[in-house]
Amino acid sequence: MSIFNTLFNYIGQIYTDRLPYFPTNIRVSLLIILFCVITAIELYLYMMVRRAVRSVRSKRMKYWDDYISVLLANMIVFDETDHPHEVVAHFYPKLKKIPLRSKVVNSILVEKILTYHKNFTGKTAEVLSLMYRKLSLDKKAKRKIKNRNWETKIEGIREANEMDLMEMAHLIVEYTDDENALLRMEAQAAYIKLSQSDPFHFLDRAQERILDWHQVVLFEIITKHKKLTIPSFSKWLYSSNDTVVMLCLKLVDHFMQFDAAQEVIKLLKHQNPKIVRKAVEIIGKLELEDAESFMFEIYFNHSEEIKLEILNALGKIASGNYSEFLSSRIYSADVKIKKEALYAIKIDPDHGEEKLRTIYLQTGQENQALIKHVLDDRIR
Amino acid sequence: MREFLTDFETIFNNAIFYYAVVVMGSYVIFTLLSAIEMNSYMKKNSYVNYREILVSPLAPSVSILAPAYNEEATIIENIRSLLSLHYGNYEVIIINDGSTDHTFQRMFDYYQLEKVDFAVNYQITCNEIKGVYKSKLPSFSKLTIVDKVNGGKSDALNAGINVSGKDLLLCIDVDCIVQEDAILKLAKPYLEEKYQVIATGGVVRIANSCKVEDGKLVEVNMPRNLWPRFQVLEYIRAFLMGRMAWSRLNGLLIISGAMGLFDKNIVIKVGGYDHTTVGEDMELVVRMRRYMYEQDRRFKVVYIPDPLCWTEAPADLQILGRQRNRWTRGTIETLWTHKDLFFNPRYGILGMLSYPYWLFFEWLAPIVEAFGVCVFILLALMGNINWEFSLILLSMVYCFSVMLSTVAIFFEEMSYQQYTKGKDLAKLLLAAFLEPILYHPLTVIWAIQGNVHKFRGKNNWGTMTRKGFKNAEALNSTANTTT
Amino acid sequence: MSKILIAEDEVLMLKALEFKLKKEGYEVEVASDGRQAMEKVKSNTYDLVLTDIMMPFVGGMEILSYIKNDAIKKHTPVLLISAVGLEHVVLEGFSLGADDFIYKPFNLNELSVRIKRYIKQNVFH
Repeated sequence: MSIFNTLFNYIGQIYTDRLPYFPTNIRVSLLIILFCVITAIELYLYMMVRRAVRSVRSKRMKYWDDYISVLLANMIVFDETDHPHEVVAHFYPKLKKIPLRSKVVNSILVEKILTYHKNFTGKTAEVLSLMYRKLSLDKKAKRKIKNRNWETKIEGIREANEMDLMEMAHLIVEYTDDENALLRMEAQAAYIKLSQSDPFHFLDRAQERILDWHQVVLFEIITKHKKLTIPSFSKWLYSSNDTVVMLCLKLVDHFMQFDAAQEVIKLLKHQNPKIVRKAVEIIGKLELEDAESFMFEIYFNHSEEIKLEILNALGKIASGNYSEFLSSRIYSADVKIKKEALYAIKIDPDHGEEKLRTIYLQTGQENQALIKHVLDDRIR
Repeated sequence: MREFLTDFETIFNNAIFYYAVVVMGSYVIFTLLSAIEMNSYMKKNSYVNYREILVSPLAPSVSILAPAYNEEATIIENIRSLLSLHYGNYEVIIINDGSTDHTFQRMFDYYQLEKVDFAVNYQITCNEIKGVYKSKLPSFSKLTIVDKVNGGKSDALNAGINVSGKDLLLCIDVDCIVQEDAILKLAKPYLEEKYQVIATGGVVRIANSCKVEDGKLVEVNMPRNLWPRFQVLEYIRAFLMGRMAWSRLNGLLIISGAMGLFDKNIVIKVGGYDHTTVGEDMELVVRMRRYMYEQDRRFKVVYIPDPLCWTEAPADLQILGRQRNRWTRGTIETLWTHKDLFFNPRYGILGMLSYPYWLFFEWLAPIVEAFGVCVFILLALMGNINWEFSLILLSMVYCFSVMLSTVAIFFEEMSYQQYTKGKDLAKLLLAAFLEPILYHPLTVIWAIQGNVHKFRGKNNWGTMTRKGFKNAEALNSTANTTT
Repeated sequence: MSKILIAEDEVLMLKALEFKLKKEGYEVEVASDGRQAMEKVKSNTYDLVLTDIMMPFVGGMEILSYIKNDAIKKHTPVLLISAVGLEHVVLEGFSLGADDFIYKPFNLNELSVRIKRYIKQNVFH
């Protein structure tokens, strides 16, 4: 034991009596050592306590988790003949017994109701909605939306969105142009589903960018939500917010809105190349013959990417007006342009492949290889 | 003479002290930065529903490029797990880099391949592509096999880039275990950043002693062997602390060669991977960044802290040494190729911070350290050492490094908590104590060796001998040199 | 009594399906991930298999292709549950021999009617 004693004494002395006599660098080193040791010990203790607390809490929560799961699962497997109100009346007393004052238990219940609501339709969803309101969870959601903390707001908005709390729409619309991108997106997504009068109102006033990621989410909701009345998105193609234009182009594309044709053609002159490219793509998909000459006009002023898109669109329109142009492109110096032109020729269902075979006989080795590639349907 | 030596000793002690303080200070700053970045990522990520990207037709398309060289033992298993990743629009391109075993034959038989008339557009130079193959079976339509003349990993990746028909490139090591949601997570930054994202990287974790079934990770375990365990610690520190901080500063230089997602157009514009360097993964990122600065385009390189990819770390000291030796040479080569970046304001963070940092701390640190040890021994031999002061200085460095590792483990504990068993956590903490004594000196030696080899012009590629995961442990001891 | 295997990684969904089908009078076995499901499918025979497509470790497609390529088990009806209605996934599923697709969200009662029908049909095999 004496070794340890000596060591402790020595360390004690270093940090007390002898400390003032060390040169500055050694003194600082000693302090750094002290700092490191204390920090490390604190972290060890914190990690240990955290693990212990977690395991205790998770054991307790597991009880409620299982209890609620079983209860809800029992609730939703009612017979076809049972009336939703009867089911709710039968299970309400049991759910009421759960200690919902506890935040954790409350959130377990909400999360489970939301999960079932998301996955089931028909009477099951109806029962869940009724029970949700009967337990006054909608009021709690409203309080969450009004909370100052954005994370809590998002939680509330999500709940409103999933449980179709239409009455929250006016609360949520406020946040559709919020500075916080995450909150903005959640609010927009919920607003589309919840607003009965004008679900796309937020597009009129959107100043903030709608990030590509948000466009993915909104696109998903707009295209999958069955009860939504789809407006003509041409209305927003003049928006000064490029991201709004982009989203609406994607939707025009998805819903094949021919009434937007003129506006889409006008976008060929837009200064944002991404928008031009998307416009060209739509022109091809909608086979807008009127646009051919406009596309040809801008062809040589644009980058390779847009050129490729134009070739593809010309191929899809397949009017024959520009077939000479397409054939001439296979003598371009750029292999990608050549290939795309060949694909464009191939698109024509009547003569495409035949025409490629004719060209094959008259052209050089490199182009022959490309034509073979283009004719091979297993690759692109 | 005596007096001079005593003065010199004081100066020497001071030099060690100031150097240590600068290094430690930079670590503290990095720790803070990465804490901020991790925190904001975790918060943001908890609100993300990846299902939306998974099903969306608007998600970017991805080509997975996986070079394979003599992988006959595991290739089928590896391809199978790559084909079952969760993502909508992607293809898998396996590049057989002139394997001398039955890698190609295995794939040919299992997937019933047939040659297609692929007219390869050699946008990036690479060795001759002998053929492009697709499966006859419709359920493997995502798979493309490229058979080419051997040219090394970079060359194989370049060949894959030439065949790719998608927007983004996921370059991976064929034998690493990829988490199912890896593409989703790596692709997301491309959809959300204000500036163009040119590359994203994911965290690489160590799979030794983990339970792997059918090419998928089933259970995470702490490596039983001590050397991989030190690497676990090293990787957690490097990925969760170092790279997250660099990501915050937008000054990230390395996207691990084991897994990175790149913007194909930019990769093609800069000419793909450089096959003259052994540090091709770092070199590519530096070149891509450089290109963006030269074009005056704003951009980002993003790091994702999620564990997306698990790889088998060398358990054999010889192989590990060769790997580190190669890394050092890769660093030197990249630094040398791009020497004009050094404090060049034209290249923003890259020139003013990332490059100098890499030069001073990644390349020079081991040299300075080794030099310091030599001087210390010399002084000791001459009997001119204040043992007490030296010991205190040494303890400071030791304590700091233990604390830093502890903080790294703490980050891991607060975020992903991959090692759920309390025992594993304890083992990791113990490793933090042993690492500075047992493992760190070796890394310094290997780095010095790398320098020596580089400057003596020895271009040893340091092949890593890899085995299938099923019998990895058994083979570790018999791994032989194939350089 | 007909025996049904349900494979689904979302525990809550699994519970609901289990309760529903037990209530309908089937003998039900459950698996909460693909590996478990695969083991069960290999060692038992079922009158119907209901599986989610996206599960950890082993996907529903692999389970489907195992069943449909097995000489004895290939007549077992397999119903795939999917949250993702991607065209190529659906095509792949049917080309591998899936008997039906169930898209989330779905109607529980409708599902049980469908299951009844598939089991009845299968009696004649």
